[in-house]
Amino acid sequence: MLGSTNKIGKYYVYGSTLISAFIVFLIFTILLINSWDAISIIGLDLLSFKWNAATGEFGILPMLFGTFVVTFISLLIAVPLGIYTAIFTSEILPSKYRFVVKSLLELLAGIPSIIFGLIGIAFFSIWIQDIFNLQSGRTILTAGILLSIMILPTIITLTDDAFHHIPDKYRESAKGLGLYKFEIIKEILIPIAKPDLKAAILLAFGRALGETMAVMLVIGSIDKIPEPIYNWLSPGQTITSKLGREIAETSFGSVHFSAMIFMGLLLFILVLILTILSQNSLKSSNGRLYE
Amino acid sequence: MKNNNLLLILLLCIILNSCDKKQAINIAGSTTVLPVISIAAEEFRKNNPEINIIVNEGGSGVGVNQLGEGKIDIGMVSRDITQEEIEAYPNVNFNPISIGKDAVVPVVSSEIYKSGITTLTLEEIAKIYRGEIRNWKELGGPDKEILVIDKEASRGTRHVFMEIVLGDKEAIAEGADLVLGSNNEEQTAIVQSDAAIGMLSNAWLNKDVKGLSIKMLDGTLIEPSIENIINNKFPITRDLLIVTNAEPTGDVKNFIEYLLSSKGQTIVEEAGYVRINQ
Repeated sequence: MLGSTNKIGKYYVYGSTLISAFIVFLIFTILLINSWDAISIIGLDLLSFKWNAATGEFGILPMLFGTFVVTFISLLIAVPLGIYTAIFTSEILPSKYRFVVKSLLELLAGIPSIIFGLIGIAFFSIWIQDIFNLQSGRTILTAGILLSIMILPTIITLTDDAFHHIPDKYRESAKGLGLYKFEIIKEILIPIAKPDLKAAILLAFGRALGETMAVMLVIGSIDKIPEPIYNWLSPGQTITSKLGREIAETSFGSVHFSAMIFMGLLLFILVLILTILSQNSLKSSNGRLYE
Repeated sequence: MKNNNLLLILLLCIILNSCDKKQAINIAGSTTVLPVISIAAEEFRKNNPEINIIVNEGGSGVGVNQLGEGKIDIGMVSRDITQEEIEAYPNVNFNPISIGKDAVVPVVSSEIYKSGITTLTLEEIAKIYRGEIRNWKELGGPDKEILVIDKEASRGTRHVFMEIVLGDKEAIAEGADLVLGSNNEEQTAIVQSDAAIGMLSNAWLNKDVKGLSIKMLDGTLIEPSIENIINNKFPITRDLLIVTNAEPTGDVKNFIEYLLSSKGQTIVEEAGYVRINQ
């Protein structure tokens, strides 16, 4: 191979990385610049409970609350479900079926979120409405459950890989010591895979925070914190659903627009923090010695 | 080598695309005006196949904003353009053209309608939206909590409805339980519930979504019927507008002329609205 080809390859790789990094930086800068109006004009009033663009009140707390509660519910459901499924596919299922089952589960990740939203509106919210005898099935809980299905593949795939990377000799030695399968999984495999599990959960957390379409359709979109605060069977609003519904209605450059972008910035920072945390967790697991 | 081919194909695609650029009229906005425009666009294209017409929904607010930002040629708007919107785009000369008339009708789930609530006064509707009446029992209906459905703030239907009912087009509805967007979404929510009240364009009423008559102060009942829209008796009526930036020219002008022609007006009528010139 020629030296020049090598060089071109090198620059190509460097260039691609730089472009990707630059795009992230650019998005952050644009969000910051556009939300500056809101930060300087509204200031601390952003952290209030009332959102009414007509009177210039832009309180983002209801949206922030909705975002966290919906994400919390989805993690509450998806984490145990995902981890147990992964234990099954990697440890219990014969390996010739593992690929098939895992691919099927990963198909879930390929379903567009609007499809989840439509199913949510057409069936799911009606079920919730009937089961809990509610006025309307468009609730925070509905959004949380729908979201849990959507983040399930992320958790399953990453957790399954984590278990699969653990060398067999751990299992064999443990078996040799006379441990039951349950004990091997609980006492040996889970502790070893722990950093990876943490990373999987954090990544799923990030995905749940950013999901828009499905949540927007089923959450009811009302900018209020439910009363009482733990009444998750009432409608709410997340940052993403608020942005999805309202951003096109605002005129570019207005304070209203800026306040919307500010919520986007908050979301961006949250996801950034989660990603960094999960990368750290993965890094510590990569440095781990299997030998 | 394989990669090079791919790049070449990509490049060709881009070049071909830009050469073959058809003229397109971009339209977006109100979901109330949408059914008329999308059918009219199809019909119009039968005689003018060289013109592409791209129609998107989003609500009246979207129609105004995108026109203001120059993203579209025609905005569909089912309410008046607000002073703030005019001020937000000083360089745009909004030119509204009325293509039909419509009523915004307070609607209830069919269960409520069947239980006997077929008329309400504007005051009663206002109380429901303010959260002062919370149960259908208080209005003589079944013992069910009212599911009050509101719309996104910049939707045309909401502006027109709230202007008459709460006295301010941007009034906050304290009693609202859900906030939805398009006519479609609102219609679905009302069908899915058995105790809902909402607001819909006249053309979206059907057997599951019943329009209420309005009881006026002097005791007369005004049905949401085509005649009552024509003679302006129904209290919540509005013009369906399409808005252009300054006087339309070329294809856009032709399309608008088509909408105002007798053929275009027949489409307005078939969509459930009232033609502009009787």
